[in-house]
Amino acid sequence: MTAPVPQTDPLDVELGDVARLEDIVDRAALAEVCRNFHALFGISVRVVSRDGALIADAHHEQAICQQVNALTAGRQACASTVSEVRALDPTGGVQVHPCFTGAVYRVVGLDYQGRRIGRIVIGPYLPAETREVPQSLLRIDAGLDPDRARERLAQMPRVRAETAQRIADHLRGVVDLIVFSSHRARLASAMHVASVRESYRQLAEKTAALQTAYDRLRELDRLKSSFLATVSHELRTPLTSILGYSDMLLSGMAGEIGGEQREFVETIRAKGEQLLGLITNLLDLGKLEQGSPTLRREPVDAVALAADVVRTMAPAARRKGVELVHRVDGSVAPIEADPVRLRQVLNNLTDNAIKFTPSGGRVVVGVRATEVASSRTDGPGGVLFGVPRRAVELTVSDTGIGIPESERGRIFDAFYQVDGSSTREHGGAGLGLAIVRRLVEAHGGRIDVESKVGQGTTFRVVIPEPEIASDEG
Amino acid sequence: MQLDFANRELTIKLVYYGPALSGKTTNLQALHRLLDASAAGRLMTLETRDDRTLFFDMLPVAFDAGSGLRVRFKVFTVPGQVMHAATRRMVLQGADGVAFIADSQRNETRANQQAYLDLQQNLRELGVDPARLPVVIQFNKRDLPDIRTDAEIDALARHGTEPVYKAVALRGAGVLETFFGLVERTWDALEREHRIEQRFGVTRAAVLERLRARTHRTGTVP
Repeated sequence: MTAPVPQTDPLDVELGDVARLEDIVDRAALAEVCRNFHALFGISVRVVSRDGALIADAHHEQAICQQVNALTAGRQACASTVSEVRALDPTGGVQVHPCFTGAVYRVVGLDYQGRRIGRIVIGPYLPAETREVPQSLLRIDAGLDPDRARERLAQMPRVRAETAQRIADHLRGVVDLIVFSSHRARLASAMHVASVRESYRQLAEKTAALQTAYDRLRELDRLKSSFLATVSHELRTPLTSILGYSDMLLSGMAGEIGGEQREFVETIRAKGEQLLGLITNLLDLGKLEQGSPTLRREPVDAVALAADVVRTMAPAARRKGVELVHRVDGSVAPIEADPVRLRQVLNNLTDNAIKFTPSGGRVVVGVRATEVASSRTDGPGGVLFGVPRRAVELTVSDTGIGIPESERGRIFDAFYQVDGSSTREHGGAGLGLAIVRRLVEAHGGRIDVESKVGQGTTFRVVIPEPEIASDEG
Repeated sequence: MQLDFANRELTIKLVYYGPALSGKTTNLQALHRLLDASAAGRLMTLETRDDRTLFFDMLPVAFDAGSGLRVRFKVFTVPGQVMHAATRRMVLQGADGVAFIADSQRNETRANQQAYLDLQQNLRELGVDPARLPVVIQFNKRDLPDIRTDAEIDALARHGTEPVYKAVALRGAGVLETFFGLVERTWDALEREHRIEQRFGVTRAAVLERLRARTHRTGTVP
């Protein structure tokens, strides 16, 4: 069951306008204000909407009016005056309308936010300067007793024009305040209702979209898992046999082997292990090749990450007699990146550097904050988006064999090795840098290399903070 | 825009947009001071306890534009905080022009970008082409330390399409310039679409002149 919701004209909320006075004011409160005014000054007060509806009315019949209304012609004249006054819309803000009794009505326009919403009618009252009973009253009906009329007219409140205007201004101010407060409250509640509705609509939309995406992802995930399982099973099963039988041969289960036989089997086994590593890497690269890998970005402390990589690699470096150093330039704020992938990048580069650096050499893993130029093209909002983005620069420098200039463009290609012979010496299939480049590019970053043959190589990776997206926040 | 032919009344909606705490409400408060009471009505604020805008602020500005045409500007601010996204979109609905109030402080750069993208996104969701809506950009808080310099902003402004104003809204500086810039751009767009001059005999120059006559500089604290 849904609770009834107050209907609001959409345009009311859109422009924050008041359509009608009667919709916005609390009639009881306004009536009370009018009654108080009436009690204070003894003058009748009425509030009329723009369409002429009577919203509040505090009046008593003046003695002279009673006398006039007792006569047929008088009653007619009075009724016509009253309807004239009711219909009056003072264009200049204030208008004084005379009654045949010599009294007047003061009609004051009520404007709100630059728009006429109604008027206040004050009176009848007698202008202070009135001295005589006017002919218009005496002529109204033959049955009118002039002496009684004079006596009764004298009982009507006498007000000077400026006093009347001050009273009118004051009343107008009070009514304006009531309208303002009511309008404010009305808008606030309309906005409350509308924003709850809007939030609900958004949530429902998001939920539906999430459900669709979830269903699709689950299906994709199932397909991917089954593909990977099949491929890795098909490749690894024969390989496991090769490795297993090599092991069995080496353990002497099929009889003693010796000399060259053992050396050959060991080579088969080593190459098998290498092939297994290659398959694992290939599957990894395959995942990266199927479009951009999904990054799970979170704030990453690159300094801590580099320190951790250095710690992990330290034993391998020590074994090779290579000094491994972690260097930080200045302060480096955390950056939005995928910590697992970033670690893989740094691991690969550091591993490579140690591999290609001879004993007694040195590998430095450096971290510093930097910036990259905005990638947005000029256009609307250019003044906001032309600014550079924050980035973190990771460097891995070694004192190794170096890379000839002619080769530097190709080292990031899969399976490429600078010197075919180095594969035998250092191992690896030439997939590491290809994976590194894909991961860096997935981050929107870039990698480049500086090298001097015989002196060393520096890989420089720049990971910028992600380009701002409109659904972020 | 709402056009009431019977009463010869034109209502134009202007919205001050921008990141949280960039000074949208402050702009409206200054505008309220700088405009004559005969033109600017009461400033309506729907705010929370901690003085942050909850739903919106609204300043009505109304005057006779000549030829018997009454022009009413309803100037709104949106709540800047991210959580009030739904409200922002509702306030933005039907806007004829937008003043984007950016924070000049360097560390607010991203918040500015975020709010601008949010503006574009909301416009698109409301079925409005962001490129067609009149927008001006104000860099507020020029008096604070660690802000983007005038030279930087001027250089960056050449990358954008919107007129750029600099302001210290708290002191009223640059507030009228931004407002008039927005009115000019908005009026041009409405003129193109609704032929106001042809229908009412009212020109942009006349509107601006009449509006300018309703301002006073005493609201600016030097």
